[in-house]
Amino acid sequence: MRKNSVLALIAAFTLTLAACSGGGNNAPSSSPSPSASANSEASATPDAGNDGGEKPELTMLMQYGLFDPNQDPVSKFITEATGYPIKYEMLPAENADEKLNLMVANKQNFDLMKLGAAQFYKLATEGALEPLDELIEQLGPNIKAAIKDDSWGSAMIDGKIYAIPETGSGISVGEELVVRQDWMDELGLQHPTNPDELYEVLKAIKEAKNIVPLTGTKDSIYGDIATAFGVVNEWNDIDGKLVHKAELPEMKQFLAYMNKLYSEGLLDSEMPINTSAKAIEKFSSGNAAMYKLAWWSASSAEAALKQNFPEAKIGIIPYLKSSNGEAKVGVNLATTWFIAVPKVSKLKEDAIKLIDAKLEKDTFKGLAIGQEGVHHELKDGKYYPILPKFNDDLTNASVFMTGVDEHNYPTYWQARVRKDPVLQSYYEAFQANAANTTIVVDPMSTAPPIDAVSRNKQKLTKLLDDQVLMYIAGSESIDNYDTFLAKWKAEGGEEYVKAANDWYQSTKQ
Amino acid sequence: MSLKQTFSEKLFNVFNYTFFILLGFSTLLPFINLIAKSLSSESAVISGKVNLLPVGFQMGTYRYVLENDMFLNALKTSVLLAIVGTAVGLFVTTITAYPLSRVQLRGRKWLLLMFIFTMLFSGGLIPTYLLMQELGLINKLPVLFLPAAINVFNMLIIKNYFEGLPDGLEESAKIDGASNVRILFSIILPLSLPVLATIALFFAVAFWNDYFTAMIYITDQDLKPLQLFLKELLVSSSGEFLKDNVDAALNTTPQSIQAASILLATLPILFVYPFLQKYFVKGVLLGSVKG
Repeated sequence: MRKNSVLALIAAFTLTLAACSGGGNNAPSSSPSPSASANSEASATPDAGNDGGEKPELTMLMQYGLFDPNQDPVSKFITEATGYPIKYEMLPAENADEKLNLMVANKQNFDLMKLGAAQFYKLATEGALEPLDELIEQLGPNIKAAIKDDSWGSAMIDGKIYAIPETGSGISVGEELVVRQDWMDELGLQHPTNPDELYEVLKAIKEAKNIVPLTGTKDSIYGDIATAFGVVNEWNDIDGKLVHKAELPEMKQFLAYMNKLYSEGLLDSEMPINTSAKAIEKFSSGNAAMYKLAWWSASSAEAALKQNFPEAKIGIIPYLKSSNGEAKVGVNLATTWFIAVPKVSKLKEDAIKLIDAKLEKDTFKGLAIGQEGVHHELKDGKYYPILPKFNDDLTNASVFMTGVDEHNYPTYWQARVRKDPVLQSYYEAFQANAANTTIVVDPMSTAPPIDAVSRNKQKLTKLLDDQVLMYIAGSESIDNYDTFLAKWKAEGGEEYVKAANDWYQSTKQ
Repeated sequence: MSLKQTFSEKLFNVFNYTFFILLGFSTLLPFINLIAKSLSSESAVISGKVNLLPVGFQMGTYRYVLENDMFLNALKTSVLLAIVGTAVGLFVTTITAYPLSRVQLRGRKWLLLMFIFTMLFSGGLIPTYLLMQELGLINKLPVLFLPAAINVFNMLIIKNYFEGLPDGLEESAKIDGASNVRILFSIILPLSLPVLATIALFFAVAFWNDYFTAMIYITDQDLKPLQLFLKELLVSSSGEFLKDNVDAALNTTPQSIQAASILLATLPILFVYPFLQKYFVKGVLLGSVKG
């Protein structure tokens, strides 16, 4: 009964649209059948992938990007490939959550929403999103082929799918310690392989150059050094149980080490307030010798360094080894975006059809890396972008994606890294170094949204981060860490850890 | 000055002048730094070498910004908003202020109180949003100026100015047979140019600088005014936004282009000041004397 009324609505909408639009420039070029047949066809064959008839205009809410989505070449490509005219609206760059709540509370009409994890969880539990199991089953053969079983879990609440999960580029590491190689050579220093050697190297640089050698940002506390102490991921599997990094006994050793660096003037005291631009500035102006570089800022960092010191060289320090000689790298594979259909949408079936059409193998490839010979070329099994065409047309492609072809996207995506040889060389060097270590995937990556986790995560992360900075800067004594941990547990940590473990144990049965 | 200055007085003056010249100059420093950054090569900006003079001179940033459709679109929206918004705001505020400035208006005190009430209490963000939605104003240009068209504070300044004009003017116009509307437009307004220019400037600057209204009510990229565009340009290049978003991190806006955008977004309204400056001080003062 309800389905019929939805169909009738769709049909009515298509008709009005067909009547009004006439020669609109958004009309797909590949829709030969006259609009008069749209009515009968739409109601007669709801499930078949009918290409005939005018398709209704869909409205999609996307995350912020600095471009006009309705003018972007990618949006034209999607409309041409799928036949759907789409109106895009964006959340603001700041206060996006508030704005989203405002729009949802006021039942503003969207047919598709691309949401972050917290946004998705909030809307789904508030009942604002449509469960999609049936629609995907009926209308989404490409969706089912594109998305791996593991990923679906992240979009399920109480056994129902509320969104198409969009994962990223597969296993890859983003950051690694880099050092002023010219100074290392000048001082005859070797790359450190563990925290103790790192300490000696930093000390030698400090003495020779009279600078604070290691800099960083607030967001880069963990990573290389912490991992060498055993603080690998946010969540760690210890003897089959999930342990949060705050609970790890190694955390104290890590903090004591960082505090030692800090108090001896080896670690930048402005680290808690540095932005990543500031860290690059310190490194490239010769005020720091070492910091954790993200490969995506490698080209600008290297160019800035060469500007100041044409002779300077950047050396990449292999991931540090722990005391038992093993190097590890922590990776989080959590779903980044969730593509949901809100309950207020009147075009739910079309929304799913659109997602399905975008995930059709060739269409998705076109969306990700364009046409062969025009936007990209294939060399030794690797995709290389053709510039500037690739940048002109596809710079913003990822913002438009609604789920990715998980079998192929990691390969396609790397074309973006190959836009720039410097970028590419750092990316590849980091990945090669990581391949020499044990890559540990955060076990919570594939977890579904869990109430106690979503509720506490943000608050507890902030609580821990703030406290950790105090320990590093020495304004709190690390002897009191256990007191802090008790407080952390009392403020939700206990239930946070328990909920995560309940889920983790359930996956093993 | 017939009195000869003593040495210490001279010294004091020299010190005073130097101090205030330096102080005045220091307010210009951020602008100079911004200009230098916008004219420098990106790698010089990133490495922190640019202070007051450009390093690695280039003008490409300005060409880039001025060829950017989003910037031009936002500029168009902002100019339109400032002009239309100021005109509407000034008109509505004036015709509200005039009756309220006349003692013969019945219930004047209560009416005034009602206006002042809205200065102290507002409906709050969400009810206002709902109202705008019911009025069908979401994602429409008027939402940016209609709710702000009457500014009670500005209205009171104009009202006070009107009250300061001699009653005789109005009486003699009445005797000559002029209607109330005629009196307002032919007698009162021409005499009130200073205050009107001041309030026009208030409106123009407020509309030009406002990003919040647009952030709340506008999601359509084509309707975003310049300040919102600027804010989003800066926020989308900041660490908080880029965290966990590799694709966005790959496309950040270079700092030199950010600097050029900030400068180009600030200049237009800066040029309005000199033309209205002469009315400015006079206008605010005159209006407030009788308050």
